[in-house]
Amino acid sequence: MAQRAVWLISHEPGTPLCGTVRFSRRYPTVEKRARVFNGASYVPIPEDGPFLKALLFELRLLDDDKDFVESRDSCSRINKTSIYGLLIGGEELWPVVAFLKNDIIYACVPLVEQTLSPRPPLISVSGVSQGFEFLFGIQDFLYSGQKNDSELNTKLSQLPDLLLQACPFGTLLDANLQNSLDNTNFASVTQPQKQPAWKTGTYKGKPQVSISITEKVKSMQYDKQGVADTWQVVGTVTCKCDLEGIMPNVTISLNLPTNGSPLQDILVHPCVTSLDSAILTSSSIDAMDDSAFSGPYKFPFTPPLESFNLCYYTSQVPVPPILGFYQMKEEEVQLRITINLKLHESVKNNFEFCEAHIPFYNRGPITHLEYKTSFGQLEVFREKSLLIWIIGQKFPKSMEISLSGTVTFGAKSHEKQPFDPICIGETAYLKLHFRILDYTLTGCYADQHSVQVFASGKPKISAYRKLISSDYYIWNSKAPAPVTYGSLLL
Amino acid sequence: MGPLSRDAWAQRLGAFRASPSAFMAGPEGEDLGRNLLGDLRSEKLSEQTKVSLLALSLEYPAQLWPDVSAAEVAATSLLDTLVLLPPRPSALRRPLLLAATTALAAGGALGPTSGASCRLLPLLLGLASGSDLGRGFVPASEQRPLQATACECLRELESCKPGLLGGSLGLLRGLLGQEGPVQPLSLLLALVLRNTLVLQSRVGAGLGGLLTDKVSPTGGGPWDWTLVEKGDGRLQPQAPSWPAAEEGEGERSLTAREHSPEEARELRAAVIQLLDTSYLLTPVAQAQLLWLLGWALRGLQGQPPALFKPQLVRLLGTAQMTLLHAVLALKAAFGEALFTAQDEALLLRRLTLAAQHPALPLPTHLFYLHCLLSFPENWPLGPEGEEAAPLLLGPQLCRGLLPSLLHDPMALLARLHLLCLLCAEDEEEEKGQLPSPRHYLEELLAGLRQQAALDEGPRALATVCFQASYLVTRCLAGQPIVLTPLIHGLAQLYRVRPMLASHFVDFLDQVDSELREPLKVVLQQEVVSRLGRDEALCWHLKMLAKVADGDAQSATLNFLQAAAAHCTNWDLQQGLLRVCRALLRAGVRGGLVDLLQVLARQLEDPDGRDHARLYYILLAHLAGPKLGVALGPSLAPPALASSLVAENQGFVAALMVQEAPALVRLSVGSHGVKGPLPVLKLQPEALEPIYSLELRFHVEGQLYAPLEAVHVPCLCPGRPARPLLLPLQPRCPAPARLDVHALYTTSTGLTCHAHLPPLFVNFADLFLPFPQPPGGAGLGFFEELWDSCLPEGAESRVWCSLGPQGLEGLVSRHLEPFVVVAQPPTSYYVAIHLPPNSKLLLRLEAALADGVPVALRTDDWAVLPLAGDYLRGLAAAL
Repeated sequence: MAQRAVWLISHEPGTPLCGTVRFSRRYPTVEKRARVFNGASYVPIPEDGPFLKALLFELRLLDDDKDFVESRDSCSRINKTSIYGLLIGGEELWPVVAFLKNDIIYACVPLVEQTLSPRPPLISVSGVSQGFEFLFGIQDFLYSGQKNDSELNTKLSQLPDLLLQACPFGTLLDANLQNSLDNTNFASVTQPQKQPAWKTGTYKGKPQVSISITEKVKSMQYDKQGVADTWQVVGTVTCKCDLEGIMPNVTISLNLPTNGSPLQDILVHPCVTSLDSAILTSSSIDAMDDSAFSGPYKFPFTPPLESFNLCYYTSQVPVPPILGFYQMKEEEVQLRITINLKLHESVKNNFEFCEAHIPFYNRGPITHLEYKTSFGQLEVFREKSLLIWIIGQKFPKSMEISLSGTVTFGAKSHEKQPFDPICIGETAYLKLHFRILDYTLTGCYADQHSVQVFASGKPKISAYRKLISSDYYIWNSKAPAPVTYGSLLL
Repeated sequence: MGPLSRDAWAQRLGAFRASPSAFMAGPEGEDLGRNLLGDLRSEKLSEQTKVSLLALSLEYPAQLWPDVSAAEVAATSLLDTLVLLPPRPSALRRPLLLAATTALAAGGALGPTSGASCRLLPLLLGLASGSDLGRGFVPASEQRPLQATACECLRELESCKPGLLGGSLGLLRGLLGQEGPVQPLSLLLALVLRNTLVLQSRVGAGLGGLLTDKVSPTGGGPWDWTLVEKGDGRLQPQAPSWPAAEEGEGERSLTAREHSPEEARELRAAVIQLLDTSYLLTPVAQAQLLWLLGWALRGLQGQPPALFKPQLVRLLGTAQMTLLHAVLALKAAFGEALFTAQDEALLLRRLTLAAQHPALPLPTHLFYLHCLLSFPENWPLGPEGEEAAPLLLGPQLCRGLLPSLLHDPMALLARLHLLCLLCAEDEEEEKGQLPSPRHYLEELLAGLRQQAALDEGPRALATVCFQASYLVTRCLAGQPIVLTPLIHGLAQLYRVRPMLASHFVDFLDQVDSELREPLKVVLQQEVVSRLGRDEALCWHLKMLAKVADGDAQSATLNFLQAAAAHCTNWDLQQGLLRVCRALLRAGVRGGLVDLLQVLARQLEDPDGRDHARLYYILLAHLAGPKLGVALGPSLAPPALASSLVAENQGFVAALMVQEAPALVRLSVGSHGVKGPLPVLKLQPEALEPIYSLELRFHVEGQLYAPLEAVHVPCLCPGRPARPLLLPLQPRCPAPARLDVHALYTTSTGLTCHAHLPPLFVNFADLFLPFPQPPGGAGLGFFEELWDSCLPEGAESRVWCSLGPQGLEGLVSRHLEPFVVVAQPPTSYYVAIHLPPNSKLLLRLEAALADGVPVALRTDDWAVLPLAGDYLRGLAAAL
């Protein structure tokens, strides 16, 4: 259970190599074991240059997509996981765990403690999940609080020292690199016994607990016979516990109002010490009934020092917060669009912002627009072929607003206008972006009085809530639209 | 040389990292390792620079110190540097320990004979146990971090040399119980415990007092290497891949060994101790602990897997990939002993929801999807090692895991696989599930094809479409209800976007014949139905070269003929020729000959013309099987040489000529009198089927110009063959004997050479008529010729006997084409042109009942006796 090497590569399309190795680290003692375990099927870790080239090729990140290349494009080379075999110097390096996020490619090669031919199933290779956690950990470190390139460079320059702490010999000790950083900084503090390895020090100061619930709502609305609209709420509960003592115990309860929607698919942070079986089994896979567990959802835990995600959940609310339809028709040279949006009466009508983005893909720039709207303003981004309907902070009393108009487009020039493989012809969508503060769609809240803290001093407890839209699509009901299997189950 | 400056080192390290092999091959490579060790003690360099030097040695010890002795020297030097550090806090102690460990372990120097090993091991164990090493060796502030580092170093050494710390088990256990840092000690103890269990059981021994013996092995005496030696230095997988573990010899011996009740109790206590504090470990370390302990206890008597139960609920609730993965490992290790059917169902549900949970990133989803399809079931049904949906994963559970066009390509393919598995099961089960997974699958594939058909779409869209189609054909082979629409959908895709030809060719190469053959047929139809100029011609030709075969020959040839006119550049011409070649291999002959001839003449590019000619010659000369060999893939490496050369190599290899009796007979038929040259009409007749017959003629005495060979593609006994026309070019007007050789291929593919009986060219075979004079001018024309023969020529008179049909019959049978003036039944004037430039004139006048006097004149006296013989011959033939 170890890693042979790890790389961070920045993806730079348009440059000769299309990328640069920003960081790499090899583990020779693990490599030595790999040579013995893999036997005849052993393939050594290549130098950075060849690795970069092979990885970018495999991930289709080189700019030479023009021609069919069998070793990449063959129909039988099917990759169903983020784990690849890289052809380097005629040999195949496997397994390479790799993924691209924010223009950085994270990659590592886990040790496989047996021969590689035949390849063992990935599920049986312990280093694979460790490799993922390692890369996720680096990703979290690089992007937590990072705002610009120079901060990123600073963090990259800290990595060699951090890995000396978190992964000195290729076996990952802690995926939370921030812990290692704190560890280096507090190295002079003598740690007491039985300190959790994931908690590098102790807090000194005013006790306080902050709980914030963020719900994201996503939706696919079709306004069509035979296709069901779908929507789902995904919640994240983030905590920051500033409490004195080595292992303070905290229990947070999430509550629902009487008509609240039950929380499902609950995933908790590893610091949660025990879970009610009702929480463990409450799942969106099952058909809903009235007997579903509706809380309170209790989470006893010992908090780490930093802010962390106590749990994630999903929920199926009875109605989407905004129900809409979108009709778009091609009429000779122009498109006629009609949009209607209705805010559900149960939803708090007080937005931080609310916008409808109406993109037109695979067309030229907008040359002419005539429209009529019952509410809000329309912004036109001609070159991007995009309309943004700014609805603002409140829906009108009727809770219903509409927009209709005609749009004309100029000639298409491939570089500027957006391409989309799905929005062909009249297949089109509009996407809602909104945020409501101090509100959750499920009604879920953390009752300040039910938070139990077993530590010295009475902590100040603060709770926050917000609802954000995410992937909130309303499809043109006058054309085919991509459906999920769930939409067909009526 | 003095120590390098900080900047010089930074530059050197940068150059090294850019390409270690290039740097080591350069002038500075040789001394790098030595300089590095030396400069670590330099007082001019900052600690930070020294840390960066040590970091390099942690990554590239094999380059710096390439052999065992160099590694030993390096480790010794690093240890010396460590000892010489002044007694104040320093950032170098940790990396020095790590570097010395790495140098020994990676360099292969770790062993009882290594001085550095014998210094490092007691030092590490001392640091790990927090004992006072004296002389202010470890400043108080560094004690705790160094204790953890020492544990990590020991763990790495134990990993590379299993059994190394077997003697310290009791000590480590005691430390964990007291005040040591929990995580490093837990992981070290778990590893040593596992290795010791395996090694001891291999030699049939138990743990004995190892777990309780708290005496440090460094108690003054030398290090105990016995357990390492028992293991023959073999590495132990810490977390073996489970199918391998099933067969592992170590595992079997583990089960075989029974521990004494006391040993078992101590072992259980140690495991419980580790598990109870596991909550204090980071999630990734917890996962390691579970893998190690799970596989250590697997099959061990007296160690109920239920020990793990208290941890499971907590672990199942988390989203941590390593933790859920470790639970799956426990599942694989213990099966039903730890997971009842209900537990298994719960685990599957958690895995299913984790595979689609919106809060988790895509790589995590994909890994969990893989885990679902490789789930270690309590009672697996399918063949091992193949991905399959677990029995408990019914359609209801799968609903949220089905693909849609909005998914990322990898997620789409992974989910598609699941959908295919559902469709495969669905076939056996009752219908009535709405919507049917199969119907959904079809819609999805149609959507993918629509994306692939987009003009501006990136290649990746097409690739996904074909990968999905391939996946479906793999999973749902033998289901025409799925494959038929797939075939038609693909044909339609080709119609819309022929530039995907390469994908189609690859797809045809990969799929089974069940799909390949029908798909080829529809694609061929798709291509040949597009006559005329088409911008996608190069793709059509590429496609046709793959799918063209003996079927629909005429349509294919028509297409090619039409296409030939548009093949104006080298690429297109080569494409066209590749199709011809494919047709040749498929055994197409008629029609192709004409096409190749046309190409051999018309193509602009000389290479193209040569190719066409070669194919034409091969087609004309070789029988089917031999053609196959000649055109088959050449074994010669595809160098830069022209493909013509490669083809020729195959051709020569196939062509070994055998002497054989003649399997063909030739007879001379009636001769034709059209054209400027006399033509011999030969009638061939085969005794056995022969192919690619070439007849070569040789004229004795050089009476005629050399004769061209005659080619016959194929001759079969009992099948009338077309007469062969052999044009003659006489140098003088005389009969001749022709020597005949035949070269042919038998149906068994042998090429044979045979000598045929000679053929005779008669005097009359050379006769050609003069051009007919205009109507009524015949007599004047004849008289002019007649007069022109003398005085250089010769004159004669012959009596020619007549048969019952009289003069009319004789003339119509033998001289009809040459008659210039006719007054039937009594008088005929005959003018014969004898190539190259002689004439023979006959006046047959005043015939009697039994004969006719013939007056003859010629401008070539040598002809006279031949003419006389000819006329007498006519008479004799009566």
